Amino acid sequence: MLCLSRPKKEKQMLKISHLSKSFDSLKAVDDISLEVRKGEIFGFLGPNGAGKTTTISMIAGLLKPDGGRIVIDSFDLETHLHEIKKMMGVVPQEMAFYEDLTAKENLIFWGKLNGLSKKVLNERIRHYLEKTGLMGRENEPLKKYSGGMKRRINLIIGLIHQPKLLLLDEPTLGIDVQTRLNIYEIIKEASTLGTTVLYTTHNLQEAEELCHRIAIMDQGKILALGTLEELIRIVGEKDIALISGHFSAEQAREILASFEDATVISLKDGKVILSLEASKKIPLILEQFFKESISIEDVSIKQPNLESVFLKLTGKELRE
Amino acid sequence: MKNIWLLIWKDFIRRWRNPVVIVGFLLIPVIFTFIFGFIFGQEEEKVLPRISVLAVDKDQSILSNFFLSSFEQGELKELIDLKPVEEEKGRKLINKGKASALLVIPENFQENVWNGRPAEIHLLKNPAEQFLPQIVEEVCDITTLLLSSLFSVFSGELETVKGFIERGKLPDKELSSLSIQMKNRIEGMAKFALPPVISIKQTTTSEEKQESGLSVYSYILPAMSIMFLLFIGNAVFEDILREKETGALLRMSVSPLRMSHFIWSKILTSALIGTICTLVLVALGRVLFSIRWGNLFAVLLIVICLNVLIAGFISFLYSFVKTERQAGALLSSVIIVMSLLGGSMVPVENFPKFILYFSKLTVNYWGLQSFHKNLLGTPLKELFPVLSGMLIVGIIFSTAGSQLLKKSLRKGLVR
Repeated sequence: MLCLSRPKKEKQMLKISHLSKSFDSLKAVDDISLEVRKGEIFGFLGPNGAGKTTTISMIAGLLKPDGGRIVIDSFDLETHLHEIKKMMGVVPQEMAFYEDLTAKENLIFWGKLNGLSKKVLNERIRHYLEKTGLMGRENEPLKKYSGGMKRRINLIIGLIHQPKLLLLDEPTLGIDVQTRLNIYEIIKEASTLGTTVLYTTHNLQEAEELCHRIAIMDQGKILALGTLEELIRIVGEKDIALISGHFSAEQAREILASFEDATVISLKDGKVILSLEASKKIPLILEQFFKESISIEDVSIKQPNLESVFLKLTGKELRE
Repeated sequence: MKNIWLLIWKDFIRRWRNPVVIVGFLLIPVIFTFIFGFIFGQEEEKVLPRISVLAVDKDQSILSNFFLSSFEQGELKELIDLKPVEEEKGRKLINKGKASALLVIPENFQENVWNGRPAEIHLLKNPAEQFLPQIVEEVCDITTLLLSSLFSVFSGELETVKGFIERGKLPDKELSSLSIQMKNRIEGMAKFALPPVISIKQTTTSEEKQESGLSVYSYILPAMSIMFLLFIGNAVFEDILREKETGALLRMSVSPLRMSHFIWSKILTSALIGTICTLVLVALGRVLFSIRWGNLFAVLLIVICLNVLIAGFISFLYSFVKTERQAGALLSSVIIVMSLLGGSMVPVENFPKFILYFSKLTVNYWGLQSFHKNLLGTPLKELFPVLSGMLIVGIIFSTAGSQLLKKSLRKGLVR
């Protein structure tokens, strides 16, 4: 794993050491270690099946790790689960609330479950409903809410008791831009108030916009970990090019062998991913393909960003 | 405990907002009772089935005939089907559960009575039946009491008659004087003795008949109610699987709430909703079908114990299911089979003996038995063993269910 930055020990909220988890023969999480500081928004970026949700579930105490150790705010998860649960909030992918209760009833229920007093609870409910633009509709059952409004309530429930550690599992799935921005705003506010946020996503823009540091995960491993700038430095100044067409892997290898500054990241029949010093070389490469009577379907060039980092590290696009 | 009440509050609000399922399960027993009442229709048919009584008369005397003929007098003739049999055959039939009771009048019965020696009549009751043999026993008690009274009051006169019979002479003069003597004695006693005798033998008014605790309605309503209370319990517990599906349970698992509190909240919600529904059904039974439930305090205890048992039993069953589909298949099958065996569909009195062993393993059987015993006026202290049994088994099921459910729910939280 490429670990580019590490928080100071006194500011640590979460420390994971050599965590692993298998389901039968499948290694869902494979010996990962990381540290997250207090108030940090930490993103787990990776495709479906990368091991993000399994990692989050182990941190939440829902799954027992096969190996490794999780320490949250100096408490060992294995021995202090009940204490840790008091400082934790979770926002699952699903709409984890009661649709036949009103927004207010839901917030009262979840707030009281997390030990909030009536006075504090009422203040928080007012604050978050105003912040999310849901004030005035708090007495409507949630089944009457739109998808975006439900997502906002889902987030508020996780935040109502202002947890020290908030686990967010793809909380912006299938919502409009306005709601997405509203959710970002609330998460950032929680972070400034001292809540540490662990955020799983496969949305690159989301990770770029929201997270202080990002761990890129694939096949249960953390491939790289750092701030956005640190991660982009992995790619350097190089562009990443994707070429797809009617060619075999062998044909592409022969053609690309003559281009010294083109590094093959991934190569398979019909698709090649390259790292190039300059994208100006692309027409020359394509010309060689055409000379071999190979038809090209698509060419795309990625400037150095999180997507190109992901491509370079995994050899595949995030949506694959 | 605070969290358990919070969870119950949440479930009650949700049920209040979506009452269709519970109200539906509440109305079905009432509708069924109406329909069955209509099918079995007429007033005179709203009584128990005929009681089959087998009689073995080894004495073949005037007195034994007199005793047996008491079962064929007045209303008893409508209720009791008396059939003379040989003793061996009678015992076989009673063992097979083919009759409610077997009466055996031993040899020298009349002789013993005449001579003031102890005389016994043997009554064998069908153990598979509860209140039908009880009626036979009551009739026997009354008849033997009457005979005993008759022999002690008219001992002198009967001794004289016995002398006449033994001598084979019936002199007119002595007989007329004896008749006058007996008439005077009867008239002297009439104001004390006759009213109670008449009150036992006389027919009740039609209004009183409708309010009899043993009407068809009083059998069907509790029977159907228990079956649908099981379905109500199922509806409450089904919520667990929905909460698992929506992620609400996952969210609770990450909160300070203990999983055991969550499960106990469901058991209590189920028992509370069941208790409220049963009390509503009891009230509807009184208003719509004029059912006299008996001791109301006992009814309350029966309702509570029954619903604790149901909640515990359903929680236990839910520890074996993982999805709503599985729950639908397993719970519906178990409830229907249990209701059939336990007497919710067919009275257990009609079951062969071996099926009755299975009946006793059902919630329905014990619930119905307690309702019926209370209807028949069984004292509360005699109901306590059944009620405490139901309560204890309910708590055992709940404890086992909560432990097993805790494990099974944790397994499927993360997908």
